[in-house]
Amino acid sequence: MSEPVLTVVFLLMNGLVWGLLVALIALGLALIFGVMGIVNMAHGDLYMAGAVLAFFLGPLLGHFWLGLLVVLFAIALIAGPIERYVLRPYEGHPSATMIATVGISFILQQLALAAYGGIPKKMDPPWTASFSLLGVDYPGYRLLVAAISVLILGAVWFFLYRTSMGILVRASIEDRQMAEAMGINTSRILVFTFVLGCVLAAVAGVMAAPVTQVSYLMGTDVALLSFIVVIVGGLGSLAGAVITALVLCSLEGVLSAVLTPVQSKAAIFVLMITILMLRPRGIFGQRNG
Amino acid sequence: MSWMNKTRLDKSYSLGFLAVLLVLGLVLPSGARSLVVQVMVLCVFAMAYDICLGFTDQCSLGHSVFFGAGAYGVVLSLLWLKLGLIPALLAGLLAGLLLSVPLGIVSVRLSEAYFVIVTAIISAIFHLLAMDMTWLTGGDDGLSVSLPKLSLGMVDLSVYDPHTNYYLVFVSLLLSYLVLRRILDAPLGKVFVCIRENEKRALFLGYNVEWYKLAAFVISGTFSGLAGGLYAVTLRYASADYFSFYWSILPIVWCLIGGLGTLSGCWIGVLLMCLFQYYVSAWFTHYLLIFGVLILVVLRASRRGIIGYLMARG
Repeated sequence: MSEPVLTVVFLLMNGLVWGLLVALIALGLALIFGVMGIVNMAHGDLYMAGAVLAFFLGPLLGHFWLGLLVVLFAIALIAGPIERYVLRPYEGHPSATMIATVGISFILQQLALAAYGGIPKKMDPPWTASFSLLGVDYPGYRLLVAAISVLILGAVWFFLYRTSMGILVRASIEDRQMAEAMGINTSRILVFTFVLGCVLAAVAGVMAAPVTQVSYLMGTDVALLSFIVVIVGGLGSLAGAVITALVLCSLEGVLSAVLTPVQSKAAIFVLMITILMLRPRGIFGQRNG
Repeated sequence: MSWMNKTRLDKSYSLGFLAVLLVLGLVLPSGARSLVVQVMVLCVFAMAYDICLGFTDQCSLGHSVFFGAGAYGVVLSLLWLKLGLIPALLAGLLAGLLLSVPLGIVSVRLSEAYFVIVTAIISAIFHLLAMDMTWLTGGDDGLSVSLPKLSLGMVDLSVYDPHTNYYLVFVSLLLSYLVLRRILDAPLGKVFVCIRENEKRALFLGYNVEWYKLAAFVISGTFSGLAGGLYAVTLRYASADYFSFYWSILPIVWCLIGGLGTLSGCWIGVLLMCLFQYYVSAWFTHYLLIFGVLILVVLRASRRGIIGYLMARG
């Protein structure tokens, strides 16, 4: 195959891997909004927190994947109380939750800055093999990340649509008051969903840490992208978030062959505005947001 | 709590605040004076924001766009077009107006959550573009500008004289306050409040809610542009940093502390936050951490703010 085609294939692959990570993050965002009406501005910072914690815990525990598991529990322990004691009074009021989560975002960023420092650092991937795909050498770690992301997305789907706890979560998305009236302990569901959403972001952060640079501001770019994804996909639509993430990120990847990163972001932004003009609730959205 | 009482409290507070500012310009030492100048500029920004959040309940996260656009409107028209100071400030105002119309058309018809997120995305994209287009904005380093004389028909005054600078900003604050007060006292303002209190009912009463929301958004964006322009004039400098998210969050905090929907209540918020920033950032590098905690505390404590609380007590 010719050189330009190979480049495009490579960029498309990168876009897809990145898209799977963004899908995890956007799925968490959509879940949290769907169940609680929280616009989580701190979502990108939970992604950052995952990466920064992995940076510290990886060498400490001597094992990247062990670090991943520990980070999961750490983030769950942070996220649970945040939902229960900080965000609970504002739920259902998107503006108020947004302001509150901005506060949380500042706190997380500054804590990371204090603990980690302002300089972006590189982290070594735990697996350095590379594969030849259609004549392009592709780092194996990224393929592994893609595989794990697909597994996690599948697990979340299985959980939501094939388990009894998942039915409770979906019932709370559908109609929270009615779910409460049916005797579902919605308080527990709320904490659980928020933790699940945050953990999804943190997992993406841990896995992205060796691919990108770890810095205390790494969450802002990702938050921007995942917000565009949930807006285009339709707020609260889970499948919409995943599909849009994959499509938008591959598109951005391919666009970066001809445009600078900022230009391709601007192109995605123009696309978002166009879609919003045509469909104010996003492509897959139906619920009142 | 009677209506008369409430208006009287509001009037006496606003006039008192302005009167104190008028006198302070003559007596303050230079360090404190520049702080007060900054407070006055940001008061314009806060009032503009209050029109959006306090009066029509549109929680915009994109006002840094208008603030930055106003700043660059002034700086670029001074640098390229060699305009006078007053025309340049009007250019800043115009920049806010010209940006808020299309952005408002896109966003005001969206529902609450979409509005919040889309305005946040808009400001993030503008920040990225401003950082990237260094030929226009100077990027993170920004653009410095030397100010022409302020020509008032008969006399030419140098803005480098601290008193002229102070009273230029003071008059801008006063004019913005009077114009905005007049708009809010007019039927237009009553419709804004009606939309805030019950959007569905306003719709059923036959008001074109989207149009009024757009009007509020544009008024808000225009005066944010003016505030950005004034800020650039007082610092003689504009940078891409003015488009950053931080500048979208600040007006929310000012309005929440001072009191939403009171127009002048946010002045107290600006004053407290500026003092806070000035003193706390001096001894604590991670003062944004405290800022974050403060946001949570203020939001939890009261949705009405200081002036709103006093008014409710009558």
